[in-house]
Amino acid sequence: MLDMILSQAVNGLVLGFLYVLIAIGLSIIFGMLGIVNFAHGAFFAIGAYLAFALNRQFGWGAALLAPILTGLIGVVVEMVLIRWLYGKEPLLGLILTFALALLVEAILRLVFGGAPVPFAAPKFLAGFAEYGPILITKYRMFVLAVTVFVLVAFWAFLAFTPYGRIIRAGSRDPEMVGLMGINLPIVFSGVFGIGCLLAGLGGMLAAPLWTVTPSMAAGAIMPAFVIVTIGGLGSYAGAIVAGLLVGITTAMTIQFQPEWSGAAMYILMAAILLVRPRGLFGEKWERFE
Amino acid sequence: MTETTIASGRKIGRRSLLLGSAGLAATSFGASRLGMPYIGNAAAAEPIKIGMIWAKTGSIVDQAEYLAQGSMLALEQRNKTLLGRPAEIVWLDEPNPQGAQQSAERLIGEQKVVGIVGGALSSFALAISSVAKKAKIPYIAANAATGDLTGKSCNKYTFRVQPPVDVHARILAPYCASIGKKWYLLTASYAFGQDIKKAFNDYILANGGTVVGADEVPVGTPDYSSFILKIRAAKPDVVIGGVAASDLTTFLKQWNELGMKGKIPFAEISVGNTDLWGVGPEAADGLFTITWWYKDPNNTPEEQTMAAAYEKKYSRPAADKTWMGWLGMKSLLDSIEMAKTTEPAAIVQALETWKYKRGDIDVGYRPFDHQMTGRLLVAGIHPNITDKWDYFDVKAELPKTPDDIAKAFGSQADSTCKMDAL
Repeated sequence: MLDMILSQAVNGLVLGFLYVLIAIGLSIIFGMLGIVNFAHGAFFAIGAYLAFALNRQFGWGAALLAPILTGLIGVVVEMVLIRWLYGKEPLLGLILTFALALLVEAILRLVFGGAPVPFAAPKFLAGFAEYGPILITKYRMFVLAVTVFVLVAFWAFLAFTPYGRIIRAGSRDPEMVGLMGINLPIVFSGVFGIGCLLAGLGGMLAAPLWTVTPSMAAGAIMPAFVIVTIGGLGSYAGAIVAGLLVGITTAMTIQFQPEWSGAAMYILMAAILLVRPRGLFGEKWERFE
Repeated sequence: MTETTIASGRKIGRRSLLLGSAGLAATSFGASRLGMPYIGNAAAAEPIKIGMIWAKTGSIVDQAEYLAQGSMLALEQRNKTLLGRPAEIVWLDEPNPQGAQQSAERLIGEQKVVGIVGGALSSFALAISSVAKKAKIPYIAANAATGDLTGKSCNKYTFRVQPPVDVHARILAPYCASIGKKWYLLTASYAFGQDIKKAFNDYILANGGTVVGADEVPVGTPDYSSFILKIRAAKPDVVIGGVAASDLTTFLKQWNELGMKGKIPFAEISVGNTDLWGVGPEAADGLFTITWWYKDPNNTPEEQTMAAAYEKKYSRPAADKTWMGWLGMKSLLDSIEMAKTTEPAAIVQALETWKYKRGDIDVGYRPFDHQMTGRLLVAGIHPNITDKWDYFDVKAELPKTPDDIAKAFGSQADSTCKMDAL
């Protein structure tokens, strides 16, 4: 039994990293822009479908462009739709992004059909490694490595570059940053684009594991929201810790009480919010109070 | 003498009023019969509306797309006419069981449909069936497989195309038992999965085998790796699946990813062609029952015509779900023509006698439980898939004889259906 617990714990951690990758973009967009992006799952699906289309036409190398293209689509969406919502009633953002999610799903269905499309990992990432009772596939190790790299790189970008400082300052006091002569709308477009790029990256990496259908967003958006809520809205570190917690909790529930596995993360969220209503790393933000 | 004053102030006598009314009535009658027939025929020209409830969102949407296209094709093949009148399909969504129920109520209450085809998942079909029973409108469940639909929840207005889970299980279970007698059951946590769990559990225990593990999986589970690790540790001879549509696709992709493809045989009943097409040739694996296959040489000429029309229109082969949607709708449309009326009771009676020739057997709905009886295909996966549509390697078409079919579907004495009256 101990072997199985260890095996499930490691598997849960790896799954948690995939969840972190999906959730982190949502956390960034809320933390920096104050928008609760219900369309985050839609960008996840766009990433998966772009990877599918590029892979089919040009091979896996081209599929790597999918997150970048998703990010660019995000920039356009921000410039056309999202930027009119800054400082407005949060409900407007919820409604607009929810409508956007439905629109994207309908467009994907129109273009690619409703049936799932086949998508496999590249051959060099097929196979798995066994360390005693622990089994990890090469592809999941690759996903883990990419996630860790992206998290560290983005943290370094925010912490050590002038652009990162502008984004952080803009998220706390946009007026002040604007008064310093910085073109904040461009910064915000970039932030939204980065959030969408991360969603697209999550979609591309999840595509060989999950079923690629226009409705695949539903499988991503709920864990992402749960993770962001548990971690604390807008908290980078919180999203990471919460993602891993959700992964381990889900895996352990499958081991001992499988029929509860779908509800496990929601029970975890409720328990944490009872103790810490702002989530694990949630702070009081003047802008959103 | 009573007089009526109109707005202009002119007075109309009682006699004038009566004469005027009679004249107006006579004019209307005359116009309808003579110079202006379109006034009298307006009701007859009203299109006959058929309700269709197939998912437009959610985990079953991939199958629902084919079901809907097959259903629409059945009407298109009649040039969209029924009883000499134009006919149209009104398609509503079924996002969940409550949504399916509301859609059925809207179709009946607002659209005044004369019959409904739909219910992609068992839980949706049960919800629609309860509305059909209450509103006394014929309902064809073309895809749902739960036994309850034509078992304890049967009713006079509900008819079902898909063989129930226990029939599929009776056909596939002996194949699985011939591989090994230690089974692991991985089934969805709703009616369809629970029926599979019970049917296969009962079979293997009755035949000297064991169940080494049984997990119920929530619908829409995105990651099966933890379930697969449990299966791997339990070392079963066969894994019996009971997850539907895109959930099955996800499972098989991850089953392959974790190196299980070819290591432990996987079997599942009543899978959709699209579930496997979405898995891809690298990961597709298993032994299945399917209801129809576009390359089956035993397909009737009418089915071949349907498949050709579908491929021409949608540039892809017809799936089993296309056929089920088509056959369900065809049975309803045929029955309306047979009944020569849109009156629900007459359509129900026609459905009970409706027959469709498939090879040496007459396919139709049994009057005592409204279950369609027929054959199923047992299919594996081609070892080397070269055509992106041609995945299945059909091993058998069962049950072989009409007697075997009757036995597989069970007799009236075995049925839990207590059929109500019209």
